[in-house]
Amino acid sequence: MGQILSGYYIYMLSILLIFIALATILHMQFGLTGIANFGLSGIWGFGMYSCALIILKLNIPFVLAVILATVLTGIISLPIGRIILDLDNQAVLVGTLAFLAIIETLVISEKWLTNGVLGYGPVNYPFNFGTYTKFVYFLIILIFTIVLMFYARKLESSPPGRLLLSIQDNEPLSQSLGKPTFRQKLVFFTFTSALAGFFGAIAAPVYNFVFPKYMGPDITFTLWIALILGARKRIFGGLVGVLATVGLFNVVLETVVPIPSQYAGILYNAKYFLYGLTLILVLMFRPSGILGDKKRSKNIKNIGKFEKMEG
Amino acid sequence: MQEKKLHLKNVMKSFGGRKVVDIKDLTLGTHGIEGLIGPNGAGKTTLINLITHKLKMDCGQILYYANGNEIDLSKKPIDEIARSGMVRTNQIIQDFQSLSIRDSLLLSLATPMYENFYNIFSEKKLRKAAEQEIEKYLDYFRFENSDGHALSTGEKKLLDIIRCLLLKPKVLLMDEPTTGLPQDQTDLVIALMRKKIVEEGMTILIVEHDLDLIWGVSENVYFMAEGEILIQGPPDEVRKNKTVVKKYMGEGDA
Amino acid sequence: MPFAAFLKSTFIIGLLESAPLMLAAVGFTLIFRLNGFINIGYAENATLGAYLAVTFNAILGWNFYISIIPAALLSGVLSVLTYLIVFRPAMKRGVGKTEMIILSVGVSFFIRYGISLIWGSRLYHFDIAKTHYLSFFGMGITSTQLICLGLALIIALGLYLFIYKTTYGETMRALADNEELAMIAGINPIKVSVLVWFLSGVAGGLAGIFTGVFTWVNTGLGWHMILVILLVAIIGRVGDVRGALIAGAGVGIITTAVTLVTQPAYGVVALLVIFIAILKFRKVRV
Repeated sequence: MGQILSGYYIYMLSILLIFIALATILHMQFGLTGIANFGLSGIWGFGMYSCALIILKLNIPFVLAVILATVLTGIISLPIGRIILDLDNQAVLVGTLAFLAIIETLVISEKWLTNGVLGYGPVNYPFNFGTYTKFVYFLIILIFTIVLMFYARKLESSPPGRLLLSIQDNEPLSQSLGKPTFRQKLVFFTFTSALAGFFGAIAAPVYNFVFPKYMGPDITFTLWIALILGARKRIFGGLVGVLATVGLFNVVLETVVPIPSQYAGILYNAKYFLYGLTLILVLMFRPSGILGDKKRSKNIKNIGKFEKMEG
Repeated sequence: MQEKKLHLKNVMKSFGGRKVVDIKDLTLGTHGIEGLIGPNGAGKTTLINLITHKLKMDCGQILYYANGNEIDLSKKPIDEIARSGMVRTNQIIQDFQSLSIRDSLLLSLATPMYENFYNIFSEKKLRKAAEQEIEKYLDYFRFENSDGHALSTGEKKLLDIIRCLLLKPKVLLMDEPTTGLPQDQTDLVIALMRKKIVEEGMTILIVEHDLDLIWGVSENVYFMAEGEILIQGPPDEVRKNKTVVKKYMGEGDA
Repeated sequence: MPFAAFLKSTFIIGLLESAPLMLAAVGFTLIFRLNGFINIGYAENATLGAYLAVTFNAILGWNFYISIIPAALLSGVLSVLTYLIVFRPAMKRGVGKTEMIILSVGVSFFIRYGISLIWGSRLYHFDIAKTHYLSFFGMGITSTQLICLGLALIIALGLYLFIYKTTYGETMRALADNEELAMIAGINPIKVSVLVWFLSGVAGGLAGIFTGVFTWVNTGLGWHMILVILLVAIIGRVGDVRGALIAGAGVGIITTAVTLVTQPAYGVVALLVIFIAILKFRKVRV
């Protein structure tokens, strides 16, 4: 029992939870509000690095460091949101990708601060329960993930969620009803990005050492593929998608079906090859994802977009 | 009731060298219901877009007076203008495809205090506060599937109007509100308009091609052609005016 | 070094080094002009082109310049295949513009990691016999590399001329502007689209080869270019081939200048910052 609880299995499950949380945040940003954020992993990684740096360079206790890292992440996402949130979707996608590249490049080049590609750490668990340490921490992550999903669930059937949905659906119309759409998007983007930073901060002890690749495009794309596969418009879309991708490859394949190490590299390439294929197939044949769109009244069908307001 | 006014000074808008709106001096909102008529391409919708700042004017000023405040509409964003009481309905159907009828109405009625990202428990409160009014409207205009979505273009148009009315605007600009509506619904809309003017002190400006409707309902009519307001006055005068008859009434009658 | 010399070498080095980039940007812009979406999978034309060339050259032992030809042509074929199998059907189904970009990311992954599965993750180098080492404005360069840059420049300009100065090019532009009207005029949209995607793929493949000749060939080749390609395409007014050429040159020059003064990482960051600024101020309406 102790072996399972402290070994690779618990590590992978913890990572899985973190990814589920991130995919759910992505659902809130893209599926609900329509913000095509391709830089989410950069924000997450920023939270992770901030937490690690605060703990190790400033000797600040873990809980306080997590809080500070979360707040810091919120603070830097404010100008990012300011810049991208009144652009159209393609520009948001490409712009956030650019931000991602900037953050990753800086983290790698500023070795004096981050140790570059060698990784920064070690960040240790904030408590010690012997062999059960990792398991207890896993439970803590689980609790936060559940709270996050509860928030997402409640959000979508509440007035702020409805407003965000209306912004994605027809922003000019929403504005003409007096809704401050830019401000709503900005506040929500900042808040959800801070949440991503939070999950980055609490992921630090799990990874132990923080690497620039956590901020990179690979993680962002994995999240996107997971969300699109699962169902971008459903709260559990992220969960289903992550289980079907990261869960399948990193947990099932590695623990239940052990792969001999000489195939590790091939597995890595095959994984992303299949991710690419999955993305293509889903977007072509089932764009709403495995879980589909929300149930609507039975007599409406999406006939096609109406003309947007002339402007 | 008539402290609300809209004053346009030297408002001009051109598209690719062609002048679409050119208004030297105009005051709107002096009566309860006013009509704006004119041939296609006269610039009526463009004018409404300029007033609500959907479009930027090339030059000029649009001043909105309400309760002693003077607001320069050209300096305010669309949502702020709507919040200050100046609301418009849409000529081309605008809809929220992913929102049901009730959702649309709840959206309209939600005030900022309900809509902060942390107010995830405020739905019950909103529904309770909004219930009466929503049911009133749903009873008045009978939708085919009031628990679901608006189905026909007519229903979507009605929904557009109701959304605007729920905002309790001070000035309502209606851009061809009855086009595409069956006659019985049109009558309901008109009756409701009249009520709103009396009960809520609303000022309404209707753009229409249905001239019978305009003559029947307006207290004051503006005739617009080629971007300019050529004639204005009580409906009886305007309908007899030679220019109006020549330029428009041949083609415009519903 | 004195400022005048700095400017001169920056300009010339920048211009030359950006030649593959200009070529890539032109190819990218062709697709955007025709179909109106950002194809992130385009980067993999470059990667594949480089890998194919390296296969003919280093693995099969062919002469470098001869290897370029089948490699470029096959890149063009790959490009056409992605169009016919993925992008065209997707557009017909009414997939939205944002989803098309995400779709193209999927294509990018598919091709890039497919390449990894076939070729493995080792670095490849071109095997170039008889090359001379030169010093060009203070920059160490081989004659082969210089020739490649020159070729890139020539081909980029050639493409530009083809699109703007020939009737076939006019046909392509007509189709891009208004498909219905073009069909009435007797233009076959599929035939012309296939040609455009082919040319675009060839340009991308060549750009990849001409980039790989400087250092090595690995699977990240295309991906590293894509953001800069996007940048160049957007600065140069997306859809305008002329603009892509000029922007490409400009980007090369600025990068060189910044890199000479600071370090390469900052050159990249400076570019990306410019990228975001342009996005914002152009308010790209795509």
